[in-house]
Order: sequence, then structure tokens, then C-alpha cells
Amino acid sequence: MSDSIQKQKESLAALNEDYESKYGFSDPVDYFHKGAKGINHEVVEMITKMKKEPRWMADIRHEALDIFLSKPMPAWGDIKLINEIDFDNIYYFMKPIENQQNSWDDVPDYIKKTFDRLGIPEAEKNFLGGVSAQYESEVVYHSMKEELKEQGVLFLDMDSALREHPDIVKKYFGTIIPMTDNKFAALNTAVWSGGSFIYVPPGVQVTVPLQAYFRINAENMGQFERTLIIADKGARIHYIEGCTAPTYSTDSLHSAVVEVLALEDSNIRYTTIQNWSRNIFNLVTKRANAHARSTVEWVDGNLGSRLTMKYPCIQLLGEGARGEILSVALAGTDQHLDAGAKVIHVAPNTSSRITSKSISKGNGRASYRGLAKVHKNATGAKLAVECDALLIGEEARSDTYPTIEVDAKNVAVEHEARVSKVAEEQLFYLTSRGLTEDDARLLIVNGFMEPFTKELPLEYAVELNRLIELEMEGSIG
Amino acid sequence: MNIVTDSKYMIPHQSPALERGPAWLREKRRASQTEFNELPLPRRGLHLWRYTDPSGFMAIPDSADETAPSENYKLVEKLELDHLKSGNLEALVTDFGGRDIKVSRSGDDVTKGLVISSLSEAANSHAELIEKHLYSLIGGSSGKFEAMNSALWNDGIFIYVPDNVEVKKPLHLLREAGVEGSIQYPRLLVVVGKNASLTIVDEYGGGSSDFRNGQSYSNAVVEIIAEQDSRLRYISLQRQASGMQSYLTHRAQAQAGASILTIPLVFGAAISKQNFGVLLDGKGADSKMYGLLFGTSRQHLDNHTLHHHRAGMTTSDIDFKVVLRDKAMSAYTGLIRIEEDAKTCEAYQENRNLLLSDSTRAQTVPELEILNEDVSCSHGATAGPIDPMQIFQLQSRGIHEADAVRMIVSGYVQSSLKLVPEDLRERISEFVAHRLEDI
Repeated sequence: MSDSIQKQKESLAALNEDYESKYGFSDPVDYFHKGAKGINHEVVEMITKMKKEPRWMADIRHEALDIFLSKPMPAWGDIKLINEIDFDNIYYFMKPIENQQNSWDDVPDYIKKTFDRLGIPEAEKNFLGGVSAQYESEVVYHSMKEELKEQGVLFLDMDSALREHPDIVKKYFGTIIPMTDNKFAALNTAVWSGGSFIYVPPGVQVTVPLQAYFRINAENMGQFERTLIIADKGARIHYIEGCTAPTYSTDSLHSAVVEVLALEDSNIRYTTIQNWSRNIFNLVTKRANAHARSTVEWVDGNLGSRLTMKYPCIQLLGEGARGEILSVALAGTDQHLDAGAKVIHVAPNTSSRITSKSISKGNGRASYRGLAKVHKNATGAKLAVECDALLIGEEARSDTYPTIEVDAKNVAVEHEARVSKVAEEQLFYLTSRGLTEDDARLLIVNGFMEPFTKELPLEYAVELNRLIELEMEGSIG
Repeated sequence: MNIVTDSKYMIPHQSPALERGPAWLREKRRASQTEFNELPLPRRGLHLWRYTDPSGFMAIPDSADETAPSENYKLVEKLELDHLKSGNLEALVTDFGGRDIKVSRSGDDVTKGLVISSLSEAANSHAELIEKHLYSLIGGSSGKFEAMNSALWNDGIFIYVPDNVEVKKPLHLLREAGVEGSIQYPRLLVVVGKNASLTIVDEYGGGSSDFRNGQSYSNAVVEIIAEQDSRLRYISLQRQASGMQSYLTHRAQAQAGASILTIPLVFGAAISKQNFGVLLDGKGADSKMYGLLFGTSRQHLDNHTLHHHRAGMTTSDIDFKVVLRDKAMSAYTGLIRIEEDAKTCEAYQENRNLLLSDSTRAQTVPELEILNEDVSCSHGATAGPIDPMQIFQLQSRGIHEADAVRMIVSGYVQSSLKLVPEDLRERISEFVAHRLEDI
């Protein structure tokens, strides 16, 4: 391994000297049209050159690539599935707009069917199916953007942020999730593209949820997006990423990094609904630092993908900080959703709550994997973890892997988990009131998911309910 | 005697330990030796080893242990012999250093058919039973340290209850570890026949009391087969001295309709790692585990429990209680696994950690792996100090704070002890009281 790193370093040094003459092309788009798969320092250099990034960012990318190459694959989780990822068979960068178009005929039938059932408009359908790369929403959101601008809120995609606000990006980039954190965070740092950047100035309350992704602009969505959210002292922000409709992509790996910083007295809520098509490996690192008296909430819904490994984390660094994580997974046939949550109490009198709900259906597998840690100085910390799992189908599987580490005395830590199927007596009760068995089961599942759906904006909640309905159709308990 | 603690140590082919026993046993020992030599030291990344350094258990004697029993051992032995004489015990088995096995039975009142002997004798006298069951649950392939015991054990204890025999009084096994620089590999095989019943108290004591200048080591293996409709109560008491590195692996198989109650009580050793597991292999099998761990000073106590449901209509319940004070550390990991074709199972698990000092460390990892839908399963874990309201309530009735703490802790531990034979329960209560004297 170290040999290959050395080789790449040498080729990199050469690149820096006479990049154009050595490789004899200057149009990066053409290069990518040729279909270069795989990852090495040349690809990274290409990305950074094409984006015209400052040298410090290029250096970060190269260093991260070395770390990615030297770190072994995780030895835990779904080892069999995760080792199916063929890193050499993946495009690490494609210029958006030009290259993402598929033919509508290539979009799998189950996704088209879901669009129809959800009543997604034609233009959005095309976008979500990867047929067109942009959905014009500028008009709708124009007035809102003006208002944000007046308040001094910065809300733009990460690439633009690096160009327009390099100082802020340089100050915070990689400070919450360093590139050495894990193999996939290193990969993201090396090849990131797109994602959102938000800065809310002190005391500013953003009252409408900011929605990234197609509703604002296309570049927010990508394979290796990088998101950075900063709420300055006393600020408030709610950010929504993703949507309930399935998102089809031919790329098999999605690996995002999301860094969230809540300074004193601020309030951040981050809502994600992930519904990648079922060929995707979704390996995401999300972490928030919560300073004194701030509140961070992750609301995290996982519906799609083949394998998801995602454990949103909150580090409670300041006295009185509060964290809340609500994680939901709906694992259908041939899916493994390994989702969870981490809270790390560092400062005194911090509190946190983790609520995890999972449904495994068919031969689907949903896992909760979590960490709840209380450091020595975090006296008076309060921490509650609750995991609920519902199994539907003979072959459904549910795992719970919580880890609780307590190094302080005056704390209150609670963990609870339950696993069961839809109870016979509940079904009986509902069917005796004239509901069909399918309707009864759907009602029970919707009730089970309610703590999650009630936290979502209305349009998302409605879509999610329809989606669950679709999932539950014809399922035999 | 010298001890080899090199983590890359290989058991040599000419090791005299491998030559013990009849041909089939020597073959098993050789196989375990090969497994041991091929297996690397467990990686710290593996979740069972996340909290304990495996290299601490890598200790192999380069010659036979010849140290004498400690004075304390003679005292307890006399105490238990008195119990035996007064008719409270079925038998007393003393095991010194996993080497000298001595069986004392109550004179006139012996249960018919019950076999209690050393493994080395039983390998000849009950060859068929031993060959069938020894290594059936724990052998060379179970892990590095299990392979170490399986290759090198000197002598062990064998207990066999024939079908339909009810052993009314408890059997007491008293295991004493040698002092500084000693290593022992205790081994126990229990076979409880169909519809038979038995209570065992398995007590591990002794060992070095000087961790800095001369540790001693113990690596124990317990295999239990509970045949159809049998009932077994197994109490494991670990009260080894403060210079011990102690490792124990236990596996019990519950066949159809069998019910097993396991009570792990953990008080001693400097570093202790125990792994208790019950395999629910037949329809209607039931397992209950009520554990109690009390750590003081700088003790490092790591416990794993496993309830593996491999057959349908099986039930399990775990309540593992932890009390920590001073700088003691407890790591509890518990797994409930329900296999795909084990339908209609119920499984519950609870782990409570009571923290009495500021510098204690408690880790709890209760895990579930459920592979079919027809189950009812839950677990809970808590960690925290005594509820200040409880102390306040008692203080308002004129009770001094320290006494209030003592009362609350002894109440907390009683639920784990209610199914322990009475005289032992008294001794345990004394241990607990002793550990709270200077609170």
C-alpha cells in the first residue's frame, strides 16, 4: 500500500510541474467524457484544477486521498456487503448538467411507479430519475432568497462558498470531521463536490426551513457532497436535505460528509430523508458540535439504498447543551439499513435523547448501532436512548448494537429497546371494526412511525405516509 | 516456575501437557494446540475485546505448578467441610490449581447414581460420556484462550446426574488458585440427564494478592449439558485475590424442555473477563441469568452474556446488576440472538449500573440480533448514582447517609441473590457489607 502511495505522490509532483504538457489535454470535460473510473492523485488534481480551487484545498484533497488509500475497510457492520464496493469501478467526478442524463426508459419501473403514486410533477420526476439535471425552482424561492440575503444569511452550494467565502470555509472545513476520522470521510474529503454551505449570523432567526437539493439548485445533490452549517451565537436554523421520493442514480456509491457547528445559544435542526434507489451504497458521516446552551437536532429518515451506514453524532461541548436524534429506518427486501446515533457528553449539565424506530420487511435488515458516552467532566448529564423495532415477514431481521460508556458518577443514563411483530390483538381489534387486514396493518405501521412523521414539514409527512402505504401493499405479515 | 507472557508464544509439540489422557483425548489436545498456535491474539477492535487487553491473559507455564494452597483456602475448605458434615451439602469437591481434585461426600446420605469425579479418572471410568461431551461446547475453535485451556488443562471436575435423578442438596466446588507466579486451567464438565435436577455452587478463590510484583493467572472452561426436561441451577462465584488475571468461558446447552438458572457473582481478581452463554437448543427450553458484579479499588471486570435461541418456543431472561465504587471499571456486553427458524421466542435482558464514586467507569452494550418476526424481545440498560430522593427519604427518617447507602445497595443486590442457597446468600451479603464498610 505504501508503495502505491509513494508512486502516486511522485506522479502528483510531476503533475504540479507541467500538468498540461505532460498529459496533453486541457479540457477536463473531455477527459471525463472518456469515462475515467477509479481513484488516484491525477483524478483528484483534475477535480481541483477544474473547479479552480485554491492550493490549500488541493493539498487537503491529496492528503485525504493518501489517508483513504492507507486505511483498511471497516471490520464491523455488514462486512460482506461493504466489501462488494469496487472502488476502481466508480466515477469520482462528473461535471453536473452535462453528464448526468439518463434515458427515461432506463429508470427502473418501481421508481416510476412510486413517482406516479406520490403525484410528483413531471419536471421533478425527470430530475429525480436522473433524466434532467436541473429543476427550475429559482422563481418560487426568489423572494425567500432575498429575505435571507437581507438578514445576512449565507446559503449557497459548497463550491460557490469556497469561491466566494474562502475564509469561512477554510476556518471550519474539516474541523468537526477530520479527514482521518474514517475511510469514507477521507474519500469524501479527497473528491467532494457540491453540498450546501450555510452561515447564520449572530442572533438571526431563520423562520422557514431551508431546503437543499433540487428545490434550490441541482449542485446540492451528488455522490460526494460536503455540507457545512454554522449557526453563530443565538442563531436559529432548520435545514432539510433530501426528499421522500426515490432518487435514482446509476452510481453505486454515495458518501457524504456533513459538519454542523452550533455556537453558544444557537439552535440547529437538520432533517434528512434519504430514499436512494436500491443499488446504492450510502455511507455518510454526520457530526455536530454543540456549544454552551445550544440545541442540535438530527431528524434522520432512511428509506432507500442497498446498504446504509449512517450514525449522526452530536458532541455536547458546552455546558447546558442539548442534543436530540430521531432516526428512522424502513428496510425492505434486499436492503440493509445500518443506522444509528452517537452522543458524546463532554461538558457538565448536558442532555440528550436518542429515539430510533425501525421496520424490517420481507428479508430486509434494519440495525441500530449507537454510542452514548459520558466523559468524566460531564457531571449532571442526562441521556436517554430508546429503540423500537417492528418486524414484518418471516425472514425480516433486526439488530440492536448500543454502546453505553459512563465515566462520571452523577449522571442519569437510560437505554431501552424492544423488538416485536405487529401484535395479533391489535390487528384483531382493528379488523373487528371493519378494517381489512392490510388497512389495519398500515394503520399500525403509520402509528409506529408517527413520532418521526410529526416532526416533518407537512408536504414531506404526506409523501412519507403515501410511501409507507406503497411499501406495505400486499405485504403478508 | 517461569511464566511465558509473549503474545506470539506457541505451544511446543513436546509439551508434556499434550500427553495426558487416553488416545482420543491426546488427539483433541493436539488439535487444540494447533488451533491455539494458528489463532492470532484477538484484535482490540473486536467488540468483545474493546474494553480488555487480551495480552494480559497470555500466560503459559514452562513447568508444572507446585505451589501449596494458601491458608485462606484451608479455612474455607474447613468451613465447607463443616457444611458437608452438618448435612447441608451433597458433596464438596476441592480443586487446587486445576490439578489436585479431591471429592468429599456426605457419608450416609449419598444420592444414588450421581457421579462426581476428577476428569482424569472419568476419562477411563466413564470414557463414553466424556468422549461424547468434553469439548462439545468449548474446544480449540472457540477462541485463542479457550484453545489454550483445551490443550493444556491438567485435571478437572466431572459431574454426571443420571436420568430422573433428583439431587436435593447443592454440590459445592471449591477452586483455589495458586499464589504468585502460578497458572491454572480449571475445567468442568456437567451432564444432567433427562428429567434430572441439580444445584452447583462453583467457587473460584485464591491466587496472588500482589498485582504489581507477582500476578497469578487462571483460565477456566465450564461445559454444561442439560438434557431434556432437566433442571439445573448453576452459581458461579468469583472471589479471587487482588493479584489475579482471571479468564472464564462458560457454555451450557439447554435441550428440549430443560431449564437452566445461571447466577454469575463477580467480586474478585484484578482483571477478570468472563463469558457466560446458554444455547437454547430444544423446544421449550428456558434460561435465566441473574448476575451480580461488585467492583472496588482499581478492579477491571469485563463480563459477556449470550442467549442463543436456536430452537423455537424458547424463553430467556437476563438481569445483570453492577455496583461500582472507587476507580473500578465494569464492561458488560450481552447478546441475544434469535435464529431464523427459532419461532415464537421470548427474550429479555436488563443491565443496571449503580455508581457509588466519581471515578468509576461503566460500559454497557446490550445487543440484539433477531432473525425472524415471531418474537417478543426487549432490553434495557441504565447507569447512574443512587437516586438522591431515596437517600433523602431515609435520612428524613433519621438514618445516617452512609447507612442509607448501605441499605439501598444491599436491597439492590438481593434480587440477584434470592435464588442462591441460603448459606451462600449470607456469605455474599457479608461480602457486599464488607465492601461498603468505609463508604
